[in-house]
Amino acid sequence: MKRSIQAVLLGGTIAVLVAVLGGAAWVAYEAGQDEAEELFDARLATSARVLEALVARQLETATVAAPIVIALPEPLERLDDDVTSPLGHYYETKIAFQVRDESGRLLARSASAPETPLAPLLAGFSTQATWRVFSLRSGRVWVQAAESDDARDEMSGKLAWAAILPLLAGIPVVLLLLSLLIRYGLAPLSQLAARIAAREPGSVAPLRLSRTPEEIAPVLEALNGLLARVQAALERERRFTADAAHELRTPLAALQVHAQNAARAGSDAERRESLERMLAGLQRTTRLAAQMLALSRASAPRAAFAALSLEKLVREAAGQLGLPVEIHGDIVVSGDRDQLLSLVTNLLDNALRHGGGKVRVELAGTTLAVLDEGSGIPEAERERVFESYYRVPGAAGAGSGLGLAIVREIAAQHGARVEIGAGPGGRGTRVSVIFASSAAP
Amino acid sequence: MRILLVEDDELLGAGINDTLTRARHAVEWVRSGTQALAALQDAEFDLVVLDLGLPGLDGLEVLRRSRAGGSLTPVLVLSARDAPAQRVAGLDAGADDYLVKPFEVEELLARVRALGRRRRGAATNVLEHGRLRLDPATFAVTCDERPVALQRREFMLLEKLLASAGQVLSRAQLEESLYGWGGELESNAVDVHIHNLRKKLYPEVIRTVRGIGYVADPPAGAK
Repeated sequence: MKRSIQAVLLGGTIAVLVAVLGGAAWVAYEAGQDEAEELFDARLATSARVLEALVARQLETATVAAPIVIALPEPLERLDDDVTSPLGHYYETKIAFQVRDESGRLLARSASAPETPLAPLLAGFSTQATWRVFSLRSGRVWVQAAESDDARDEMSGKLAWAAILPLLAGIPVVLLLLSLLIRYGLAPLSQLAARIAAREPGSVAPLRLSRTPEEIAPVLEALNGLLARVQAALERERRFTADAAHELRTPLAALQVHAQNAARAGSDAERRESLERMLAGLQRTTRLAAQMLALSRASAPRAAFAALSLEKLVREAAGQLGLPVEIHGDIVVSGDRDQLLSLVTNLLDNALRHGGGKVRVELAGTTLAVLDEGSGIPEAERERVFESYYRVPGAAGAGSGLGLAIVREIAAQHGARVEIGAGPGGRGTRVSVIFASSAAP
Repeated sequence: MRILLVEDDELLGAGINDTLTRARHAVEWVRSGTQALAALQDAEFDLVVLDLGLPGLDGLEVLRRSRAGGSLTPVLVLSARDAPAQRVAGLDAGADDYLVKPFEVEELLARVRALGRRRRGAATNVLEHGRLRLDPATFAVTCDERPVALQRREFMLLEKLLASAGQVLSRAQLEESLYGWGGELESNAVDVHIHNLRKKLYPEVIRTVRGIGYVADPPAGAK
């Protein structure tokens, strides 16, 4: 399944954010409520003490026929809960007190308090059905101050909400900013995709971005590396084709000249001579085309490798060329049979064409060496002979100039390198193909 | 004409050598730029056919050096490089003509004739000389409108003498026009061919200059 990085980042961030904020809100709510409770309790106790000081002492000595009821101004009942007025506050209706004697008889109460006892006559805080009560004994009189539970819940709830709300309100803003940030962060990726999509089929120029973040740099680098390799391959192909066209011109020109000479010949002898030269030219051109194909094939992707005895390959190649070869030793390497046969054939053919004398093949360790007794290759030419179509100036024979290029290409495909040196005693040429390792026989 | 052929490719060289030789030209064939410069220094040629893609000393370099040395010999360049810039470079280096491989044999021969004509300062290929008429394109020779059958070497000698009418040519110069550089020739071959030409045409056509050589005198009435 395709998943957008943006969706994953955004979704993940929201989940984390909600969990953290939720936790924080819960903690704030609980802590707020606890603190409010403590504050309310302290206030309740203070109220009871003030009542005791101002009212209870007098009531203790007085004779009370009927309980005194301290009423609240009427309009207070109708006030909104968050509005203060000169008369007082609506919340006063949620606060109550009773003063009773030891036997529990009611001496005085606030209008908001019931006529029945708020709580049993026991000192300290207690929680009744709907009241939180603080009871205080003063001589023979009890003072009980109470607050209605719903008022407390409402107030502490409001306090907690006030702590949480700003956090909740921040979530959409955070989400908006986050999504903008993520979009900005991922912009180079979309730009890269757009640039690749907009490419002309033949365009292999490196990709460039206006901003390359550290995370995309390796992708871009790998892509550009690939493009560079494709470009090099295309360039090689183009050069090969151009070179081939150029190299074919001379033999084709020669064939045309001989054909026209034959057609224009003034005598049978002249005609026969031209036709014979034309045939020789055709053979040479055929070989050139075969060598071009071999070089093209040599640089193709590698086939499955097998363990091969080079001694057998040399014998086979020598047989095909009709060349007597002295072979010493044998090595087994891992490779493509057709390609290695082509490598050996080209080496032997070179030795035969340009070397002359006895051709000797030495197989030892990881090295295949072909030695001839010819005039050798001058030191200065030893690197250039690997170039396609390069022929050593003044060299005898009409080679394609591709033999060693093919050898090097095939060697490279097999992880081997090719070296050219002088034969024993500085005479002739020694071409060595050094493989990285020999295969187990 | 005496032509220096500079071509490193054996097959193509052999073909062009055949073409030119069969067209009654004396061809000297060398395979490298160095040999070409040496040949140009040693002997006089009517034309150089020069391949540009030579090993070692490049064809263009041969051309530049020979022109720098003051050689005025016409040069026909052969090249596989057919881009206009390369033709321009060839012509600017001193080539008189540029032929791209592969080419038609007929075209090569026509261009060779054209360069020879220009060298003589003539308007036509045909050499007219009093009662004689020699066409290098068809190898036809007529004397008083009557066709004369000439041997190959007789034709070459006559062409050389008529092309340099009024100029005394040494026996060595005439021998060179029959063979390339270093060719084998019987010592009296030129004398024998001159004798035959006089017999087939008319005796006064070629005058012997004692101790020097031979000359085809400009016909009476010609400038």
